[in-house]
Amino acid sequence: MAQEYLILNILLWIGFYLIVALSLNIEYGFGGIPNFGRALAVLMGAVAVGSLTNRILMLYFGIGGQIVEASGSIKTITNDLVAQNPAAGISLFIISIVVAAILGSLTGALFILPSAKLSEDYLAITLLSISEVVFMTTYYHPDIIGGYYGISVPNFFAFIPGEQRLLLFAVLSLFFAFLTYLFVNRILTSPYGRLLKAMREDETVVKTYGKDVMKIRIKTVAIGSGIAAVAGALYSMYAVNVIATNFSRVEWTFYPFLMILLGGLGNSRGVVAGVCAFVTARITLTTYKFEIAQAFNLPFDPVWLEYILFGLLMLLILVYRPEGIFKEKPIYTKPVKKVLKKEGVLK
Amino acid sequence: MPVLEGAIIYANLIVLLSLGLTMTYITTAVPNFAQGSFAVFGSYVSLTLLRLHGLNPIYYLIGEPSGKEDFFKYIMTSIPISFVLGGVLGVLIYVLVLKPLIAKGAEVVMLMIATLAVDLILLGCLGAYAGYLGSITKKGAVKFIFTPYDINIGPTQGIFIVSILVILILLFSLFLLLYKTKFGVAMRASMENPSLAVIMGVNVEYTRIFSWFLSGGLAAVAGCLLPFRQEIVPATGSIIIVSIFAASIVGGLGTIYGALFGGYIIGISESYITYQLSTVFGPGILVYGKVISLVILVITLILAPKGLTGVRWRKIWRRSTSS
Repeated sequence: MAQEYLILNILLWIGFYLIVALSLNIEYGFGGIPNFGRALAVLMGAVAVGSLTNRILMLYFGIGGQIVEASGSIKTITNDLVAQNPAAGISLFIISIVVAAILGSLTGALFILPSAKLSEDYLAITLLSISEVVFMTTYYHPDIIGGYYGISVPNFFAFIPGEQRLLLFAVLSLFFAFLTYLFVNRILTSPYGRLLKAMREDETVVKTYGKDVMKIRIKTVAIGSGIAAVAGALYSMYAVNVIATNFSRVEWTFYPFLMILLGGLGNSRGVVAGVCAFVTARITLTTYKFEIAQAFNLPFDPVWLEYILFGLLMLLILVYRPEGIFKEKPIYTKPVKKVLKKEGVLK
Repeated sequence: MPVLEGAIIYANLIVLLSLGLTMTYITTAVPNFAQGSFAVFGSYVSLTLLRLHGLNPIYYLIGEPSGKEDFFKYIMTSIPISFVLGGVLGVLIYVLVLKPLIAKGAEVVMLMIATLAVDLILLGCLGAYAGYLGSITKKGAVKFIFTPYDINIGPTQGIFIVSILVILILLFSLFLLLYKTKFGVAMRASMENPSLAVIMGVNVEYTRIFSWFLSGGLAAVAGCLLPFRQEIVPATGSIIIVSIFAASIVGGLGTIYGALFGGYIIGISESYITYQLSTVFGPGILVYGKVISLVILVITLILAPKGLTGVRWRKIWRRSTSS
């Protein structure tokens, strides 16, 4: 049982992190936009579920008062409703995902605006600062997602027995990750994908060909943030609870960067490899953290050890293997493939 | 008055932090995302000095505020030791992490990610160390604040006088170093035009190492005084980094003076303007000080991306007077 739980947990997190890492790969791997504020989009997914969906339900059921208190009663009412009417639960789930994607895209497009004309280092600083300040605000302000108390989220799959919840969400997260994977590959082989790579390599060339770099940046971050927000929404619905501290910079900005650098920038195969390797290591580490602490007689919380280990891993990758597990390959579109096959370069 | 005093103390500390950030940005061209954790490192150094080499153990055992002598003894021992240890930390990070990456020709984004990784490692080390320190002293060390140890000097708090003295002494020494010594001339030269400095026989590497030493040292001094202003936890660095970046960018990342202007603008507006707003909107607004910093940062980026020192004030002045 414990082993089954561990495996399902790993699969669940592979799904969540794959969505986020693939979205970051569009922005940074392809587009060269160092989005050090990835956590913001994921947080927006949680806000969509915890704040917007909850408010919609508050209006629907006619419950007044503060959202923190109201969310508790909404949870009981909705859970009872969904237990009898699965279709309502599923449509609420879909609505939440859509709302999250829209809110994520809007936020992404907005938060890149002040920095759309800046060079890489200023861009990274600004995105990180905005993300960090919004994170702090959601933590302090109880009306958004309950501040430090957090907020309850109804269980939209209350009709499914509790022991199968983890399995269900593992399947759901992997399904959405698979959709994202297909979408990202579709984007990469489209003209837009090549435009992104061109922007990463040399913005001046892109400008020379009459493309507006600022517009491409806004569009790219909007797409990426929309995707990442879906992961935030899924995670919140799985946890049936939203609290700002679950959306820290380390977990949703630094770790995704670590995963895509580990796997290899700019290619989806690499991202999958990086996410699988990282998540397996991390979940195993967190599952056995008390055993580890006891074995080495650590006088502190092993979570600090996790930070040190993954920080060191990042440095090792940067110094010894900056290209990651899989190297980026040139894009082969169908006509290019045809030509290359004819010449015998590609089999 | 205490509000303005608090704002000035905070601004002094932000100036120390953004000075270091700007200096390393000028010499190594990478914004150091670990600058906030450098400060928290200083806080933990001073906490260790306090707990393990207690200035007057009896006071601390029974938890009573210390006397005047202890306060000054604390300041006299903690600040220099934090400065040196912080400087060593800065040099280590440059030599062990950034130098090999720069030698390999890593892009600026890679260097930034490396400093993020350093920040995370520091956070982990500080957290682990706090747990360890707590277990050997049998006294919680994860969260701490020094305000009970502060004393009154005349009508003001001791920390107010000390922070002003510290910044005056440090700025004066920095000025002497940069403008009155040969090394300082070489350093300024390699900041302004590295390739020309190399041609003139200046070892740019030394100036880089030295700037990282100063940056780490100044940050640790700020961290040593920060617990008198706010509660410190291992993750404090990730919160104050916003103010540090805002200060450096508002002033202009290109010159050291920028950090000075920006530091005071951000430090004072973050605490003072927030306080003024709280008298209108109620005390709930006090926790949103960083939002003010962010707004100033964003406005600066839109109107003057190179910061206040990058604006050609004379040109604007001429244009406004002629029209």
